[in-house]
Amino acid sequence: MTQLSRRTILRGMMNGAKVGMALPFLDIFLDVNGEALAATGQRLPVRFGTWIWGCGFIPERWIPTSEGADYTMPPDLEPLAPYRKQMAIFSGFDVKLDGVANKPHQTGNLGLRTGIPVPGETVHAPTFDVLIGEVIGQGTRFRSLELSASGIERSYSFRGAGSPNPSEVSPVALYQRIFGEGFQDPNAAGFKPDPRTMVRRSVLSAVTDDRQRIMKSLGAADRQRMDEYFTAVRQLEQQLDLQLEPPAKVDNFTMPKAPDKTVIDADVEHVMVNHKLMAGLLAQALACNQTRVFNMLFSDTASNLRRSASSDTHHTLTHEEPINPKLGYQEQVAWFAAKSMVACRDFVDALAGIKEGAGTLLDNTLLVAHSDCSIAKAHAVEGIPMMVIGSGGGRVRTGYHKAGRADAASRIGLSVQQAMGVQVEKWGTGSMDTNRTVTELVA
Amino acid sequence: MRLMTAGKFKPSALRKIGLGLCLALAGGIGWAQQAPSADSSLTVEPKPAGGPLLMRRLTESQYRATIADVFAPDVPIAGRFERGLREDGLIAVGTSHGSMSAFSVEQYDVSARSVAADVTSEKRRARFVPCQPKSATAFDKTCADQFVTDYGLKLFRRPLSSQERDRFVQVAKAGQQKLGSFYEGLEYTLIGMLDSPQFLLRLERSEPDPAQSGALRLDGWSKAVRLSYFLTNSTPDAELLRAAAQGELHTDEGLARQVDRLLATPQLEGAVRAFFWDMLQFDGFSDLFKDPAIYPGYTSAVAKDAQEQTLRTIVTHLAREKGDYRDLFTTRQTWLSRPLGVLYRLPVVVRNGWERAEYPADSERAGILTDVSLLALHSHPGRSSPTLRGKSLREIFLCEKVPDPPANVNFSIVQDAVFKPGSTARLRLAEHSGNPVCAGCHKLTDPIGLTLENFDGAGSFRAKENGAEIDVSGSLEGKDLVGAEGLGQAMHDNPSVPSCLAEKLYRSAIGRDISTSEEPFLEYLVGRFESERFRVPALMRSIALSRSFYFVSMPIKTAPQHTVAAAKKGERS
Amino acid sequence: MSVGDDKPRLRTHTALTFGAVAASALLLASGSSERTAQASPPKAAAPKAAATPPKDVFRNGEAGFVVTEISYVLGSDAKESGACPAGMTAGVRGLTEALAKTPAGTRKDGETQQSYERRLSLAVNTSADGQNICMNPAAGSPDPGWRMVTGRNLKVDGIDLDGGNRSADSCSHEEFQGTHGERGIDNQFYRVAGCTTGFQSTGQANIFQIEMYTGSWGILLELTGVDDLRNDPDVQVGLFANADPIQLSAARAALPFATYAADHDPRYRATTRGRIVNGVLTIDPVDVRFHTVVNSMTDDRDLRGARLRLTFTPDGGMEGYLAGYTPVENMYDYEYGSRHSKNAKGELAPERLRVQTSIGRAGALGHTCNGAYQALYQAADGNRDPKTGRCTSISTQYRIRVAPAFVVNASTKSVNAPLTLK
Repeated sequence: MTQLSRRTILRGMMNGAKVGMALPFLDIFLDVNGEALAATGQRLPVRFGTWIWGCGFIPERWIPTSEGADYTMPPDLEPLAPYRKQMAIFSGFDVKLDGVANKPHQTGNLGLRTGIPVPGETVHAPTFDVLIGEVIGQGTRFRSLELSASGIERSYSFRGAGSPNPSEVSPVALYQRIFGEGFQDPNAAGFKPDPRTMVRRSVLSAVTDDRQRIMKSLGAADRQRMDEYFTAVRQLEQQLDLQLEPPAKVDNFTMPKAPDKTVIDADVEHVMVNHKLMAGLLAQALACNQTRVFNMLFSDTASNLRRSASSDTHHTLTHEEPINPKLGYQEQVAWFAAKSMVACRDFVDALAGIKEGAGTLLDNTLLVAHSDCSIAKAHAVEGIPMMVIGSGGGRVRTGYHKAGRADAASRIGLSVQQAMGVQVEKWGTGSMDTNRTVTELVA
Repeated sequence: MRLMTAGKFKPSALRKIGLGLCLALAGGIGWAQQAPSADSSLTVEPKPAGGPLLMRRLTESQYRATIADVFAPDVPIAGRFERGLREDGLIAVGTSHGSMSAFSVEQYDVSARSVAADVTSEKRRARFVPCQPKSATAFDKTCADQFVTDYGLKLFRRPLSSQERDRFVQVAKAGQQKLGSFYEGLEYTLIGMLDSPQFLLRLERSEPDPAQSGALRLDGWSKAVRLSYFLTNSTPDAELLRAAAQGELHTDEGLARQVDRLLATPQLEGAVRAFFWDMLQFDGFSDLFKDPAIYPGYTSAVAKDAQEQTLRTIVTHLAREKGDYRDLFTTRQTWLSRPLGVLYRLPVVVRNGWERAEYPADSERAGILTDVSLLALHSHPGRSSPTLRGKSLREIFLCEKVPDPPANVNFSIVQDAVFKPGSTARLRLAEHSGNPVCAGCHKLTDPIGLTLENFDGAGSFRAKENGAEIDVSGSLEGKDLVGAEGLGQAMHDNPSVPSCLAEKLYRSAIGRDISTSEEPFLEYLVGRFESERFRVPALMRSIALSRSFYFVSMPIKTAPQHTVAAAKKGERS
Repeated sequence: MSVGDDKPRLRTHTALTFGAVAASALLLASGSSERTAQASPPKAAAPKAAATPPKDVFRNGEAGFVVTEISYVLGSDAKESGACPAGMTAGVRGLTEALAKTPAGTRKDGETQQSYERRLSLAVNTSADGQNICMNPAAGSPDPGWRMVTGRNLKVDGIDLDGGNRSADSCSHEEFQGTHGERGIDNQFYRVAGCTTGFQSTGQANIFQIEMYTGSWGILLELTGVDDLRNDPDVQVGLFANADPIQLSAARAALPFATYAADHDPRYRATTRGRIVNGVLTIDPVDVRFHTVVNSMTDDRDLRGARLRLTFTPDGGMEGYLAGYTPVENMYDYEYGSRHSKNAKGELAPERLRVQTSIGRAGALGHTCNGAYQALYQAADGNRDPKTGRCTSISTQYRIRVAPAFVVNASTKSVNAPLTLK
């Protein structure tokens, strides 16, 4: 195409500043329902998940000091440095309250996930993982898997008010649920194409039927333009064709072993162990298409994590620990904040450890990692830290830091939904109402 | 004939002049050109020159208005829209050139699916499906026929051929067979129609002109479409389609009846709004950035409301109150919202939404040139820009083309001084005047822009810059003037201003650039505009009733080559 | 008079700080003169001359303002000032530690750490008659761990509320001296709070304005009938609760020149007379009431006989003091035990939430509910009850900063009508 396309304008533009986008954006090889094309020409499912850690961050240790691709890795993100290119850091995006009472550790978190801040847990809309699951999660054994590493059986995945999806807290139970009774060899499962996809395919045939007649009636330049239109429709047809093929076989799948029983409580060392075990099991489950959507709660939003032999939890420390005047922040709170990012690396390691197509499971996953607040002692919901990790099968661009400058956090939620094929043009209410896609992430 | 000097030139000719012009101006060389004269004796439309049949793509606002009019305003459109291609200052012209990316088609399909799902949903099918099938689970050919015929006419803006109808009925049938539901069959066939080039593109057709053997004319449907998108920014309504079917648009009386009817509909406001959004280049707001540390009041709400403020002011004045176009440059009447109140430093009582307001007499503000929208859009992220303001004013309102700066200019002289105590834009720009490469163009832009220097890069008032009092004297076309109010008055009194509007409105209406053979028609239009006391709906009427608007030239010409580079907006200096 | 010396401390406590830090790191690569219009005025040596306000602030004899910063005036940290020679208030933690040393507080055989901790917590938060101590502070026994500010020669800025301790409406109390030698400053709340950890500069008790920045409450000030903003012997002054959320920049700083509607409920509207002398505004005492929010629950914030002393600043705002007498029962409710806090619908909030908030706050801020209640009455110095001879309110000083704003009284529907507090 010689004409100016939206992407031509947007690529490399970030508020007027150049940002290197090293990774190619493979949109042509994607369809709208959650499949990426493997190098073999077979389709690979795209997965979506969230990873939550509680009680925010220490801004000066987490926010890169510059925007774009060439930022210096801040100390607390150092564990994730190996994934620098697969990670987009979003700072300074706010949950806008519009005067809604801020229920600490709830309002910000659910506002970010539903686009609508509420003064408690009574959500006014499903969380975005559920909306995405409705598009990409069809036809798998589990609509989604919710996991919690710190012994708390809750999740922040809501189908609606009062309908949360509860979390699995035990690695042993998680193993039983996925790989116990009812588990089938992923390579043996039969494939039935979606009749809707077949009808959509025939619709597009009808649209292109007229091609010759239309072309004949046009002048040379318009004929070229019309040809470009039909080429674009052809790409849409190819996406649908792909969906009518059986999915790629899961290579080298070996049944994971049942984990040993572990201590389940909020002692951070136990939590790290359980979290790693669950991440590994989840990655296996994703690899063999047991589910495509997940929500991992590393620590609750009012983080109950504690160090052994200490009665202070991460959360109580945020309120009680005095600021270290030399450092300018709360030292023990910072320890937990840093530890949370180590855990995040463990989780990403588990996804990146599974080969898939020419890449890894991580490449075909879009992971949104976020907290419930920015500075926990103030319960501030402005600038909640967020990351997008993994490119979702090429559907999003990563490898940079973007400062939100107090833009609505719902822009991220909107963008990842759009990337995952949710038909949504605007999302959120009040000041969170947005139709502005984060173009660095997805055009 | 009027002798043109460096300060006065003919818009349409100047548009095509490149860098050499500025150098020529720097040297003070004048040249002669024929000016469009407002007091022209052309009271009868000259012989039409016409243009080729066009294939114009619906703009985002046209797509939305069309769906709202064919179905209902609350039918969801879930897809996103590619930014329009701007050609020669107008996206309306770009619609005849731009092609569609794969992204765009994918998003059109997303929108089609959201529209079709809603229209055929259990809740709404009684309203939108024109017939009751014998059974919801069996295929009913008669009903499907009617559905396809009805919506085919509305969406393709002409009756379907029997092959087209059969094809879409067949899709409905296949859908019903696969999915078991008659309505799902309709849903998918509607998706097909909405994905069709016949819907997304305005494909014009001609027919032999009975009045002139061997000549072609637009067929009635194509005339209806031109007319409707021009006067309502939307698809032809039932009455217009009826008139087209009856051949009434080929008669003067029939055409006049429809034009006057459409001009009286509330949709006229939508058309005026869409045209000015395009002419004022408000799509630029989508990548406008302001440094929040320097302009804390410029929030994302302001970016949205600033555009709305100006468009509301324009629509109210031109379409609702049928005011004089030139008064837009002097009126104190405006609209305000709370976020804008912060930048204007004015109280806004209404909490959500808009209130009619007036710029205070001591605010130095009058006319849309002092609206935050235009002031902020043509400024830098952290400072104002007399150059960008002057350039945009010439290009937008005077139909002139100011060339981009040469690639090898060293801007550091200017930039380094930006925040020095006592430094003003005037002093910094004076540095440029020593450089003949720069001076020519800056002479065109800066004397205009400097009159607006009392407004910072976000459009807020300031009396001083870097501690120095701001001198807001400047000039336009050789006439000295002071401040924003002086500029507004000069624009009001400048005959190029209404003639540029007439030209842009006409180019927007026909969706292409004009040829030199159409200059007499433009003169005629400007004369009409003046005699109608510069009322824009009257100008629209003149265009809609003219033969030029519909005239098809022979043979079909090849459209010019368009490249990415040509479409790029001018570099910001 | 100056508030400049304490400014940095005030700012580092706000949620806005990191926004500003991040923004400056990213965006303030170059300086700008245009920026000075919005930036805080430079810290000046005290006492400094009042600035002349710009013309935008003042129209038709009216000038409106919105409070952008508010915090209690406290002395410098006990460690530096010697305000607490007997040590810091022990709080709930102290009580628990003391209990753990008694036989009743020893861990029993078979008792897990978790249930042991729960038992101790229950014991220290429950009064003899089985009631929760924060909900019924009067039922609690005296808190031996509470410490009042007793140090000598403490400097605390503010307003002399009782004309040198001569008011018949008052109870005997020791007054403070200002940092510039002013005498007779009444600040009994500092006496109560000055020795708790939460009210030290590293603590988190004096950052209640964070909730104001979420938009859940706010304060407006309106001057009318002004002939000259530098000197006018008689102006009408309105102090209202803000019915709109505070308007913020992308860096989350309050924006000047925003429009706000004053609360229509007469309980949250006060008017009085005032005067401006050389750019310093003072007012006749007036009872005022605002909203305040803790943990998503709302309380009233009352101030009886409130006075202002505000000095115009070059940015068109003012800075200085708001002081008066807070009824002890009200101060206890919003600062310590959420006995009457309301939910978003304006109903009494669920008891569980109120209890947990109060207990959590006591733990976090280093006080006990019963101790606070007793200390407030012990230090109370206003509104003496002629029958009991006991004072029922406590002198309270706020340091505030206001920015120019447009205050309107139109009855427009709230931006979040279904969601707001009122």
